[in-house]
Amino acid sequence: MNRPVYIKAASSISPQHSYEAGMLLQPVVSSDNGRLYVVEQDYRKYISPVAIRRMSRLLKMSITAGMQCLSDAGVSPDAIITGTGRGSVSDMEHFLRDMIAMKEEALNPTYFIQSTYNSVNGWLALQTKCTCYNQTFVHRSLSFELALLDAQLTLGEGEDMQNVLVGGFDEMTDYYHLVKDKIGYWKKEALNSLDLLKHNDSGGTIGGEGASFFVLSNDSRDATSILLALEILHKPTVTQLQNAIAKLLESNGLEPCDIDLLLSGINGDVALQDSFDAASNMFDSSTAIAAFKHLCGDYDTASAFGLWLANYILSNQSIPEITLLKQGAGRPVKKLLMVNHTISGDASLMLLGNC
Amino acid sequence: MEDFKVTLKQQIIDSLNLQGMRPEEIDDNAPLFGEGLGLDSIDSLELMVLLERNYGIKIEDAREGRKVLQSVQSMADYIEQNRKL
Amino acid sequence: MSEKIVVSAAGLISALGHGVAANMQAIRNLRSGLRYPQHLRTIHSGEFVMGEVPYSNEEMATILNLSPKHHYSRTALLALLAMQELLFATDIDLLRSESLALINAGTVGGMCTVEDLYPDFVAPGTGDYVKYIDTLDCAESTEDIAGFFGLKPLMATISTACSSSANALLLGARMIKQGVVKRALCGGCDALSRFTLNGFNSLKNVAREACRPFDRDRIGLNLGEGAAYLLLETESSARERGATILATFSGYCNSNDAYHPTAPSPHGDGAYNTMQQAMNMAGLKPSDIGYINAHGTATINNDIAEGSAIKRLFGDAMPYFSSTKPFTGHTLAAAGAIEAIFSIASMQQGIVPPNLNFQTPMEELLLIPTTQLVENINIRHVLSNSFGFGGNNVSLAFSAS
Repeated sequence: MNRPVYIKAASSISPQHSYEAGMLLQPVVSSDNGRLYVVEQDYRKYISPVAIRRMSRLLKMSITAGMQCLSDAGVSPDAIITGTGRGSVSDMEHFLRDMIAMKEEALNPTYFIQSTYNSVNGWLALQTKCTCYNQTFVHRSLSFELALLDAQLTLGEGEDMQNVLVGGFDEMTDYYHLVKDKIGYWKKEALNSLDLLKHNDSGGTIGGEGASFFVLSNDSRDATSILLALEILHKPTVTQLQNAIAKLLESNGLEPCDIDLLLSGINGDVALQDSFDAASNMFDSSTAIAAFKHLCGDYDTASAFGLWLANYILSNQSIPEITLLKQGAGRPVKKLLMVNHTISGDASLMLLGNC
Repeated sequence: MEDFKVTLKQQIIDSLNLQGMRPEEIDDNAPLFGEGLGLDSIDSLELMVLLERNYGIKIEDAREGRKVLQSVQSMADYIEQNRKL
Repeated sequence: MSEKIVVSAAGLISALGHGVAANMQAIRNLRSGLRYPQHLRTIHSGEFVMGEVPYSNEEMATILNLSPKHHYSRTALLALLAMQELLFATDIDLLRSESLALINAGTVGGMCTVEDLYPDFVAPGTGDYVKYIDTLDCAESTEDIAGFFGLKPLMATISTACSSSANALLLGARMIKQGVVKRALCGGCDALSRFTLNGFNSLKNVAREACRPFDRDRIGLNLGEGAAYLLLETESSARERGATILATFSGYCNSNDAYHPTAPSPHGDGAYNTMQQAMNMAGLKPSDIGYINAHGTATINNDIAEGSAIKRLFGDAMPYFSSTKPFTGHTLAAAGAIEAIFSIASMQQGIVPPNLNFQTPMEELLLIPTTQLVENINIRHVLSNSFGFGGNNVSLAFSAS
């Protein structure tokens, strides 16, 4: 949907040092075991000792990223909207395993409560005393995009709606990794995560996790970047993807050469290579190309980390070397197109501009 | 009985993940809920799971549950009389 | 002011049977769908009554003409049957050719299947079961619906616990109002699972016998299962194609308690604000409301909170109100859509479903729901409440077309 909304703040707890100072701090983190875990933070900053003792990792990192984002923006939210592929997987697995092992007797309520997909939303409302609109999307690799779409709708609904907290979060667990391995999610060969994109002749990718939050606003003051348009594509063919990109650019009065940076959700899976090539080939040599899944791993809401990176690049006018696939003309980054390709075959487009 | 209460306190600390707390810091007769340890309704359900898993005690009636879970002392007394494990 | 959104088709399945007509007939006959489960395999099957849909998976697959090798979970089968009813009454080519959203809701997706196979999932090796690995996602049923009926909609899946499908409905209306799509199929589905049963049982709020909403001696909820979908579009779009308008979707509100992870605020402030704002959007005052289909789970906390809110908001202008959960059980993600359809159908038929099993009012409120079937009355506006964990409250207002 073409509805410009401003990004006022962004906060991401990711496998990289993204949280501490809101930038990609050195050193770059990598892994050799096929998955990336977030850099754990001091979660007691925003969560009381009474509340924190029962919380799973996902709850802690998501609540913290959300609260930090609001603090950076200096606003209280008029709505809280999130997307998650699996919510607190560890709680779900814990309850399910206990239920099977204990033969349906004497089960801990905490795991059940927290396995509910909207438990992060409930906590964020509680922490911020935000009694307004509260929504959770759980549509696989489009979960975060649907939250963004809802934020666009919400900000279009009148003067009362000024600041919306939007987030995407998922966690990696051993069981989740094992189960998804059985349906070909992960690469069979050993590799360093930073080399992921070079291994694009085999199937699969590496696992990841993270929690990224944004304050989206109708108000341009102090904005770090602007999300101009969002497009959600269910299992597009290569041609449909190209047509969607062309249409998105056209409806925003842009030519391919106006795009300074193409940020790709390519994940090393050979099955996505055609789709990546097709998108890249629409742009000439002056457009730089960058990628991010070798830094955060792949997970249902990895595009939220992608948006965090896009916002970082636009607000700092600096493309981290570690993300660059193609240099381009080295222009200032005024217009950025993120194309997210996902394992499920779904895709999304986000057009952003600098402020 | 004194030894058992220390064991029970440790089980409570583990079950409720009361990080950094030691058994000797919990008074036998201090109320567990409200002002005492500041526990809430979900904690009381967790403590009932503790009773069921460790001592085979199933409490169905919420009012009885509240009575049993008043303090470490009341829990210990109840366990002594009703334990099946 | 944006154009009116209307409901132009509906379909559902619940413990009362398949189809809106069968469900409403059961309500008129005061026939509850609660019983000991026949299909859910649990050690608690002789302990708790539930609102189980009276078909096995095989029977549902037969009705849908599926090959025996199909991959659908019970959740998806329920969703397909509910949607099938809706589509019988709709020009499916129109839905295929014009812009459409499919907004589905679930709380545990295909957990009913996954919980049987999980030991295999996490053991070494592989097998035929791998085709069910992704059925755990709530989005699986959404994509199953689109695939089965050959639709290519913008798809979204919502999960906000017990208010999930009420949220699906209001999102659909908002998407249409802002021109994202022309029509939206909105609703939710959940099948009974051991996971959910044991989860609620770990909270000690599942009743063994039929639940007693708003009663002093209420002892908890009964779980249920089902699916329901409604077709939303603008009034002019429905009129242009000569569709029967079932009701106007006149108001809605989603707001949050911001009080506790699972319990509602005791005075029902959240429920009060949510109903109030839904009525405001519809331009209605309390005396305009003819019937409230309450959330009424019969848990200690919900009923006192919701009851307080209803009493404060409506005072002397108390409309008919009842919980239909003693008929269907609490169908979780499907509840909002099922009860929206009950509310609309009641308005159309001029009846009020009774709140079964009520005997004694709560001492704190002295509030008495509608306990007998009311017939031959004129209702112009109804409210349907759905409140979930995480303080997620939704009220929907529907008006006679």
